[in-house]
Amino acid sequence: MNPFTEPIGVTHYLCVGAVLMVCGMLCMFTKRNALGVLMGIELVLNAANVNLVAFGSSWLRADAARSIALDGQLLAMFVIVLAAAEAAVALAIVLCYYNTQATVDVDKASKLKG
Amino acid sequence: MSLPDLVQNALHDALHRSLPAIRPELALCTTIVCLLLAQMILPRWRSGPYWVTLVGAAAALAVLEPWQWLDVPAAERLEIFTGMLVVDGLSVFLRSLLLVFLLLFVLLVWITAVPPRDDAGELFVLVVGATLGMCMMASANHLVMVVLGMEMASLPCYVLAGILRFRKPSTEAALKFALFGAGAAGIMLYGLSLLAGVLGSLHLPTLATQLALLMHSGPTAEQSLLLTLGSLMLAVGLAFKLSAVPFHFWAPDVFEGAPAEVGALLSVASKTAALGLLVRLVLAVTAPAVMAPAATADIGPAADSFPQQTTADADVAGQGSGAPAAIVNSNAARPTAILPDALAPVRRFIVGLLSLLAVVTCTFGNLAAYGQSNMKRLLAYSTIAHAGYLIMPVAAAVALTGGIAPDAPASGGVAVGNASPGQTAEADGPALGHSGDVQTIGERLAPRRIAGAAPASAAQMAVASVLFYLAVYLFMNLAAFSITAVLRNAIGSERIDDYAGLVRRWPSLVVCTALAMFSLVGLPPLAGFLAKFYIFSAVVKAELWLLLAVGGLNTVLSLFYYLRVVRAMVLPPAPNDQSLPETAARRIGRLYCIGVTIPLVALFFWSETLMQWAARAAAGTF
Repeated sequence: MNPFTEPIGVTHYLCVGAVLMVCGMLCMFTKRNALGVLMGIELVLNAANVNLVAFGSSWLRADAARSIALDGQLLAMFVIVLAAAEAAVALAIVLCYYNTQATVDVDKASKLKG
Repeated sequence: MSLPDLVQNALHDALHRSLPAIRPELALCTTIVCLLLAQMILPRWRSGPYWVTLVGAAAALAVLEPWQWLDVPAAERLEIFTGMLVVDGLSVFLRSLLLVFLLLFVLLVWITAVPPRDDAGELFVLVVGATLGMCMMASANHLVMVVLGMEMASLPCYVLAGILRFRKPSTEAALKFALFGAGAAGIMLYGLSLLAGVLGSLHLPTLATQLALLMHSGPTAEQSLLLTLGSLMLAVGLAFKLSAVPFHFWAPDVFEGAPAEVGALLSVASKTAALGLLVRLVLAVTAPAVMAPAATADIGPAADSFPQQTTADADVAGQGSGAPAAIVNSNAARPTAILPDALAPVRRFIVGLLSLLAVVTCTFGNLAAYGQSNMKRLLAYSTIAHAGYLIMPVAAAVALTGGIAPDAPASGGVAVGNASPGQTAEADGPALGHSGDVQTIGERLAPRRIAGAAPASAAQMAVASVLFYLAVYLFMNLAAFSITAVLRNAIGSERIDDYAGLVRRWPSLVVCTALAMFSLVGLPPLAGFLAKFYIFSAVVKAELWLLLAVGGLNTVLSLFYYLRVVRAMVLPPAPNDQSLPETAARRIGRLYCIGVTIPLVALFFWSETLMQWAARAAAGTF
């Protein structure tokens, strides 16, 4: 099966999701700036969202029986809200960290160890 | 059925069936609102937040009515909000633990005065919010609720870790916790989306049935790859919450940076909820309700016909045309005796994964605890080690569910593994087989009653041992952390070496420490011994000898570093420059420590009630 000649289906969306996921993971693990790490996390969350919406779509799937229907889109909506909440909390914490340490470099956060 | 009727039914279902079942959560929500209002209206009322939270937690515990579940012989399972949440023995047990912990936590924070009194309102809003999320984790029956519960429990914890926002270690702890936590949550969510996509459902029992059917028909290579990947990613999120080993690295840093009280919350409440969720997830998948072994059921469709109809309608209204077809298809093929065997590879996979996690977590936690000089850090590694012990019986329970089906007589191939063939035991089987449309969903979502006290199977006892351990663990760890907090207030240090000579000044506190530490090791005559004993006996029943060996070895290993704390308090001479004048706050702090240590002794001698309750709670999950 050649994905470039097939009509657009769930597989294509899954590929987009997987690429987003890998980009997000790379971003999470390589960025030294705490804000960069947060951006990576947003990418991962959105990768999950792409998957959920694609799985939930009754048009994309040939076997409608396996579709998770509105549940997928419902969860995607909740994830958007969660991502916003998480970003708010994490940014507040990063700001707090900056206030005490005057840096947002996660590699410098190594006072606690042992 | 017309739209007004649908709305009417949905309303009736929500108001008369679902909302009463979540009264404790509603009480917690009310507490949060009251806390916020109290801060706004009466900003000068210093002890206000403490009273409001105390009353709220007590009210939540009162409306949960755990004592009703003590002497109900049959476990009852009630799915509410069209299958989003489930109320059964397990959820009631875990929620009572969480609420009891909330009560004790408020008292501890009141006594040790962390944070400064002005921030108490904010602290309690966060703590009650986290408890609310944990309660939802404990009764989640749908992947949406799993995600929401976990996030609701995690987000306040990130802030709590940094509640002392002007201290450097505290903000660093919060930063690490938030970044790792959010990353783990993202990965878990991606895994969930893969699982949901392959299995075509987010509702746990439906998902489990789909998995059984898929395994029966033989999954394609891509499907098994996606399932494996998805479940591993899901395991990342759970392992993070449990602080199991590859994802434990946040725990020591966060515990050291955050105040000891928050450490108690993270190590007790957060872990209780995560373990409850783990038990629920793995049991839902390996022992789907369809094959309930002890289901000598008397579900009459007449018993609760109205709510059933309601849920069915609500679901159809919600899902459009695609999903019901899927469920009907699955029902047609359901009543087969082959299904338990089809799940064998899943079971092997989960047992292997959990065993590996348990072995590595347990050993690492205990070995790393040796070199620690900070009490909170030592307790963090001890928490990691205990996560390992706690995962062991879950693996045992999964291994044992496989052993149930062959024992039971299969009557006509319809009812799979019913305990007593005399009663027609088709739990869901025939009811789901005949009617070919929406009715089936209704019966699936309907309350399933398990009548008669079926003899507890080995798998149930394994789950019961987890619950018993969690109850004991609550007091053990709370005692350890509250002693740390009280000592921090008294001598201003959390280093173990600074505890020197305490035995001459505060002998009662040293006795409490000794009891808590010996209970954490698992020495008789303390409750920790019984808890470990039940866990290891579950592991023996499941014949997981490697786990037993590692668990036993680790118990011996852990003896030394727990003893080191007691030794530091008793043997070295007291430094002369320190005197501890007796103040009211110190006396109350000591009394609190003694108060939470007493259950460790009491539960050893009067463990029957708790164990029976745990066994009943466990029976309801199968």
